[in-house]
Amino acid sequence: AQDTFTLKMAETWGPNFPIFGDTTKNFAKSVETMSNGRLKIRIDSANKHKAPLGVFDMVKAGQYDMGHSASYYWKGKVPETLFFTSMPFGMNAMEQYAWFYHGGGMELMQEVYEPHNLLSFPGGNTGVQMGGWFREEIKSLDDLDGLKMRIPGFAGEVFAEVGVNPTNIAPGELYTALERNTIDAVEWVGPALDLRLGFQQIADYYYTGWHEPATELQFLINKKVWEKLPADLKEIMRVAMRTASYDMLVLSQHANAEAWANIKKDYPNVQIKQFPQDIFQAMYNANKKLLKEAAESNEQAARIIKSQLDYQEQSRAYSNISERAYLNTMGTVE
Amino acid sequence: MQWIIKLDESLARASMFCGWVACVAMLLMAGNVFYDVVARYAFSEVSIGMQEMEWHLYSVVFLLGIPYALRTDGHVRVDVFYARWGSKAQAWVNLAGALLFVIPFAYLIGIYGYDFALDSYNMGEGSGDPGGLPHRWLIKTVIPLSAFFIAIAGLNMATYALRVMTGEKQYEGEQSGGGLA
Amino acid sequence: MIGMIMFLVALFMLMLGFPVAFTFGGVALFFGVFAEGMDLFAFMPYRIMSVMNNTVLMAVPLFIFMGVILQRTRLAEQLLTSMGRLFGGLPGGLAISTILVGALLAASTGVVGASVVAMGLISLPVMLAHKYDKRLATGTICAAGTLGQIVPPSIILIILGDVLGLPVGDLFKAAVGPGMVLIGLYIAYILLVTRLKPETAPAMPKDDSISRKKEITNALLAIIPPLALIVVVLGSIFTGIATPTESSALGGVGAIILAIIYRQFSFQMVWDASKDTVKVTAMVFAILIGATAFSMVFSYTGGDYLLEDWMLALPGEKWGFIILAMLVIMILGFFIDFVEISFIIVPILAPVAEALGINMLWFAILIAMNLQTSFLTPPFGFSLFYLKGVAPPQVRTVDIYKGVLPFIFLQVLVLAMIVVFPEWFGMSSSY
Ligand code: NA
Ligand code: NA
Repeated sequence: AQDTFTLKMAETWGPNFPIFGDTTKNFAKSVETMSNGRLKIRIDSANKHKAPLGVFDMVKAGQYDMGHSASYYWKGKVPETLFFTSMPFGMNAMEQYAWFYHGGGMELMQEVYEPHNLLSFPGGNTGVQMGGWFREEIKSLDDLDGLKMRIPGFAGEVFAEVGVNPTNIAPGELYTALERNTIDAVEWVGPALDLRLGFQQIADYYYTGWHEPATELQFLINKKVWEKLPADLKEIMRVAMRTASYDMLVLSQHANAEAWANIKKDYPNVQIKQFPQDIFQAMYNANKKLLKEAAESNEQAARIIKSQLDYQEQSRAYSNISERAYLNTMGTVE
Repeated sequence: MQWIIKLDESLARASMFCGWVACVAMLLMAGNVFYDVVARYAFSEVSIGMQEMEWHLYSVVFLLGIPYALRTDGHVRVDVFYARWGSKAQAWVNLAGALLFVIPFAYLIGIYGYDFALDSYNMGEGSGDPGGLPHRWLIKTVIPLSAFFIAIAGLNMATYALRVMTGEKQYEGEQSGGGLA
Repeated sequence: MIGMIMFLVALFMLMLGFPVAFTFGGVALFFGVFAEGMDLFAFMPYRIMSVMNNTVLMAVPLFIFMGVILQRTRLAEQLLTSMGRLFGGLPGGLAISTILVGALLAASTGVVGASVVAMGLISLPVMLAHKYDKRLATGTICAAGTLGQIVPPSIILIILGDVLGLPVGDLFKAAVGPGMVLIGLYIAYILLVTRLKPETAPAMPKDDSISRKKEITNALLAIIPPLALIVVVLGSIFTGIATPTESSALGGVGAIILAIIYRQFSFQMVWDASKDTVKVTAMVFAILIGATAFSMVFSYTGGDYLLEDWMLALPGEKWGFIILAMLVIMILGFFIDFVEISFIIVPILAPVAEALGINMLWFAILIAMNLQTSFLTPPFGFSLFYLKGVAPPQVRTVDIYKGVLPFIFLQVLVLAMIVVFPEWFGMSSSY
């Protein structure tokens, strides 16, 4: 008889977190079916392991065989992990997948993770994330000055460069903090997930995104565990992870469109806004400056950034004459 | 017998030291949170570093407070039977509990907590948020440190129980609860 | 099954009187190492870290600090006795005042450890000094301190919002009515019981040298400063100056300022208050850490899967489902932490409830009311431990266990009211 394996997977999310949680469940199901039961995935959600941001460490140390999370959460531990989720003004989902699978992205990602006894694979995409909920309209750069916003990570650094005060608020207190003007704005994910936190009830201005144009989650796998798997199961894992990623992108599109339709219907107070051009320009410049600093800090970061920027340039040129041209065309007819 | 008294009193000093550090951290934390609120509201100044300092201090308060509360008998007990028992019986409960529960529990948290902090140190872990604090290993080290002092306090509980058994010491009044209220 | 045996062993061990926190930890250790090996405990640093990172829990030391300062400066006593005087010859004035102050604190924090301990510090010594029955006093404090879980902001409601996918704001609004009814019933109960047995809650002694009018004026004057402090704490949340957690730091600093005004301030007083705070905070968090080890062993030895199986066996008919679901949550609440119930049980119940056409908001409020009770139910009700942890020795665990029983009954009564008459609370049972 052939060996059977059970991989224990820790996910950063709660047990029934929509879209993200569906992704791991779908993945586990297809692995088990495709392997005819030889490979099982046992999912432990955050309520069980209590360490949503401990997934990296737990998989590294072998307490879990694999994990489902997002690469940029590990920025404080390994700064170069930042680049494998989504970058401000970076590639969209289609372009970024192309970079991962055909543009050398995967190889760079393994290079960053391997010293930590880990492998990382794309784990599902949210699509363009919304730019956040604002209580007041943002009309100029001055309106951003001193604005208190919950915006973590690298995007927070970009915002900070243009005068915003990134602020930490425990997720459980976010709603109250925004409702009572303790903070002025909150960045979360997109309609489907934001709806659950009820921001549409207390903030009128919903800004379009620029900071996370294609947030890619990740499957983390302990390298020793991976090497123990026979070739056929490895291939089943690869296919299942890739399918799960694709499924999540599709599900995100579906769920967000549906949630947005509901917000429009039930909360006519909500207005979609875009930052004015001078704000975008200032943030674009700030982003460039921060990337330049990151590239100067070490050789590996420099290579990753160069690979991404080069790939984006080439890929965007084509996106412009295909996707963008098409959407523009649609804007001209009724 | 004399050596047990000596040992008991020197071990107690470790817990009292923890308590002293925790008290300082407590006052600093209250000041830190107050400062952050005023700075944010009155001056629209926010420092994520200062915000993170809040939970660093708060962690020190309870992690180092636990051994201190062990020595000062601040940990709550269910006194349904305990309160009716004599000193000897209470000493047996405390001796057994210290050796079977407190010290092994602290030992496991200590060894795994050490690995946890060491890994953070090796990676040079810091905050991932803008303006956050570097050297995350420092606060993670407080976990094994706390475990070490809890083990000391557990040993201390045992030495004290021995003193009570010989009749040289008494548990003051009824145990459990600081009787603060 | 290991998890179930572990609960029984823990119950037996607790009775021996060794500190609760380390009894939980120690029992978890034996069962965990036996069932899964030592390495299971490699998860403990992560679990402790998640407590360290949980800044909402910072409210615990900060509120305790405020409570200790109010107590040491006798301002708490002044507040409660003056409020009590307003009730004139009516017995139970202090207990009703405790409920009212508890309701105010409940509106400024959602962390039970914070409000129960703070209320214990503020009002237990006063009630005992005025010859209140220990059971009535402790029951009132536990109930008042636990109000924080249903009166928004509340952690239970936030977690349920997350698990059930309901907007937090809707839940907060829906919980106001049940919270008010609960407060009203507590007061009504105290009025009733003190009428029947006035000796359990003696009225404040009358000062014959001054007129009733003068007495009321004096009382009002004395109430204002400490009450103003609590109003400032609350106000800072409502105006958005501070988050609920931060507001407790304003309370501590405000209490120190009051102490200065009343010439009660000294650095020694603040240092002693800090020592008390550390000791009580450590007691609360040791329990949290011991309990997290306990729930870790419970779930990694398959306890969560076992619970899931039980839940799936509930009936598929609306009223049968609701009643049994509430019973099961109530019984589990005797043993298991509300967070575990919210994450393990509720996700299984939710789709069933949805399929039965049950209004999820109503369902969520029912669960929240029910989970609030789990803080009060012996043997593992955390509110009971917390209050015992600050109580003077003459207050025994048994007193607290017995003291909360009437309040548990009132909570079940309100739960039943929401089940039967959802429209009284502005809700409907189906959508
Ligand atoms: Na986001
Ligand atoms: Na509350």
